[in-house]
Amino acid sequence: MLNRKWKYPVVFSSLLLVVAACGNDTEPEQNAEENGEEITTEAEDQELIVYSSRNENFTNNLLDKFEEDTGIEVLVSHLDETAVNLIKEEANNTQADIFISNEIGGLEHLRDEGLLQGYTPEGIETIDEDYRAEDNSWIGLSARTRVLMYNEDLIDESEVPTNIEALADEQYAEQFAITRGGNGSMIGHVAALRQEWGDEATLEWLNAIRDNAGIITSGHGDIRRAVGAGEVAFGLVNNYYYHQQIEEPVDNNVGVVYPDQADGEMGAVINAAGIGMISEAPNQESAEQFFEWIMIPENQQAFSYDSMEVPLNPEIEAYENAAPLDSYNIQDMPLRELGDMWEDTRELIEQSGLDLEIG
Amino acid sequence: MKNLWLRIWKGNPPGFSLLIISLTAAVLLAVPVLYVVFRSMTAGAERWMRLLDDRIPELLWNTISLTILVTIATIVIGVFLAWFVERTNVPLRNWWRWLMAVPLVIPPYIGAVAYIIIAGPRGTLARQWRDSEWLSQLGEFPLEIYSFTGVWFVLTLFTFPYVFLIASSSLRKISRSYEEVARSQGLSTSNIFYRVYLPFLRPAIGAGALLVSLYVITDFGAIAMLRYLTFTSAIYYNMGSYDNLSATVLSTVLFGITLLILWMNARFKSGRNVHQSTKGKATDQIVPLGKWRWPVFSVIMMIFTFAVMIPVGVMIYWSYIGLQAGALDAQFIEYAWNTFYVSGLAAVIAMAVALPIIYLKSRHPSVISSIIDKLSYSGYALPGVIVALGMIFVFNNYVPVLYNTVLLVALAFVIRFLPQVLQSGEASLQLVSPKMDEAARSLGSKPWQVATRVILPTILPGILAGGALVFVSAVKELPATLLLRPPGFETLATRIWVETSEDIYYMAAPAALLIILISIIPLRYLLKKY
Repeated sequence: MLNRKWKYPVVFSSLLLVVAACGNDTEPEQNAEENGEEITTEAEDQELIVYSSRNENFTNNLLDKFEEDTGIEVLVSHLDETAVNLIKEEANNTQADIFISNEIGGLEHLRDEGLLQGYTPEGIETIDEDYRAEDNSWIGLSARTRVLMYNEDLIDESEVPTNIEALADEQYAEQFAITRGGNGSMIGHVAALRQEWGDEATLEWLNAIRDNAGIITSGHGDIRRAVGAGEVAFGLVNNYYYHQQIEEPVDNNVGVVYPDQADGEMGAVINAAGIGMISEAPNQESAEQFFEWIMIPENQQAFSYDSMEVPLNPEIEAYENAAPLDSYNIQDMPLRELGDMWEDTRELIEQSGLDLEIG
Repeated sequence: MKNLWLRIWKGNPPGFSLLIISLTAAVLLAVPVLYVVFRSMTAGAERWMRLLDDRIPELLWNTISLTILVTIATIVIGVFLAWFVERTNVPLRNWWRWLMAVPLVIPPYIGAVAYIIIAGPRGTLARQWRDSEWLSQLGEFPLEIYSFTGVWFVLTLFTFPYVFLIASSSLRKISRSYEEVARSQGLSTSNIFYRVYLPFLRPAIGAGALLVSLYVITDFGAIAMLRYLTFTSAIYYNMGSYDNLSATVLSTVLFGITLLILWMNARFKSGRNVHQSTKGKATDQIVPLGKWRWPVFSVIMMIFTFAVMIPVGVMIYWSYIGLQAGALDAQFIEYAWNTFYVSGLAAVIAMAVALPIIYLKSRHPSVISSIIDKLSYSGYALPGVIVALGMIFVFNNYVPVLYNTVLLVALAFVIRFLPQVLQSGEASLQLVSPKMDEAARSLGSKPWQVATRVILPTILPGILAGGALVFVSAVKELPATLLLRPPGFETLATRIWVETSEDIYYMAAPAALLIILISIIPLRYLLKKY
């Protein structure tokens, strides 16, 4: 009796088991062994799980180099700024070891929520204290500045607005491109403006640029291509997109204006890309190794090189055309203050009706 | 109690284990979706009101207007094509019969990529326009692919064959005697079409319209790539910003719309059955088009060009460029392998899960087995984004071990595509007479032996065909893969998505071409089915 009753389920479930077992082959092993000493011998079994909010073309070479140097296999999820919320969502079931972020606000916000862990790698002092967390749970590595990039065939440099506030001016209606409100760099920028102007003026400005913008894109890559191809006259981007567009084989007749440079003006808004170490990282050892590895000067350079950003470590040579940080006026606001403002800023943007996401 | 049990099963209750397995499978399949609906109830009145106030009306308008206009367009194109191909002497009519089904092998999101490459703001045509002296005098490049019209155009092009296939097959079945009578009464050809054929075609049109409208409502890829906002893309973006509760609210509303369509279809079907005598010979007599022969041919040719030649041509051209740029590298092979692996896994699981459910339904019909059957079909009409949302919820919170694994992606495919195995398996099991079971039982076989030795071998071809269909659907799947893929796991479909968003067409094209080639496999099956 028992035999008859159970044969069918046994066959069925063993079939499922076989299938599930096959499934396990490529499954990330989340409980890598935690033997501190045997790094080199066990490197082949080690993994590093990375959530990245950067464009994958900026991180691929860097992570490949890490794989080559250490033998640790890197599994990366290319997300956008949604990575911040994903890490929060998975707080009870931590998946990632390292978060490579496109801006500082999200990193500091995560630290504030207790989702990052402090770790001090060798060579940390090469990065100014303003650009890393108090407990070094996140470290900024490369800087970007908010600029206006324009198409030289369509508009003369003198016609490009010289300050960010002017984007709200009707004379520029339909002439420029911005990203959606939920873009990480955009959130950082708006947070800086709140600091400078207050919430009310910022909200008004957001309302105005939403109506004024000719194109609202998901990311900045679209803006640089749109400006390059002449779809719009100019666009609000991070400065390295300008350097990238100049190097394109076509559509490269573009110029750049660093806004708010006159005396008494706020200076250009900056932000930084960097790395954070996730609390309860499933591959703690790999995460620590990544932090140590990235502080090696040549790897710091590799972090900023593909995106053509400026390294925050002044000792490291920047990409040849990238304008160094001290060559223009920047807004003086410590980047970690962005963390406190991160969620409020998203709310303010949502209030303004500038869509966080575009579909 | 025992009597009641027997009465439910009409005196033929199944083995306990069979019932438990089927029930568990069916419930597991439906859980993620039911959980989404349940969670939306916990989203709170305030969130519901906020969404009902400003988000949902816009989405409803976008989704419904798109669905209706695409459905109408596909009916017009599909029915007229079917009539010309089946009933007139349009040139190459035997070829058109299957050539017009070919657009089905191109997933709409790949079609969208092709038209973005050609007609997008930085596409081939726009560049020509800006470079040409006299054209740029006329003003800006006039085509706007990222628009309602763009989405409507692309979805219509790649879904009209559903209507065409169904309408053609019913046209072939309609007795010619009606037409002869009408003609003898002096009706003109167009009168015959409207007064004789159209009424007969109504059920076919209804069935085609159902398929198309469900497709449009659940489609994500083409809509998101063309930057249009319907429920599916809004749910995706809400999840992107991890406002999962808002996503559940939108999902519940979308789920409701889907049920409404299914219900309307059921009413439509039951109310309007058309009866015709099966007597009356189908003659081969066809309508001569006369001077219209070539104009009609060019219209058909034009549709074929837009729906097949242009997208395939674009993909071949860019694949060629990609080939020279080294797009077929180790990574491409890895993506292809990942795709086959996860799709194969899904096919195997789907076949295993389908067996007990099919057996139960066909051999032990009852209220319970039909509930199990209905539950297993629930993924059919569900958008991938909702399935993914439910799975993220359930697995991240309750089964963390499986969260972020390849198996989860495969399970999402099973939920969505299981009905394809169920259908083909059922069809072949119906051909096996229950008398064979009884014969085997009377010779001393135990029920499980009957199932494995008698039934399984006979229905295996049907099950395998269903598995192949699941495989192909899984290869094409985009939204659930995007949302559920674990770190480091990319498939051909997700690469097309990423590369297109970066304008790197030569990297997207080889993957698209490979998906199209794989999709050709079930084309024969589709042609036979209708």
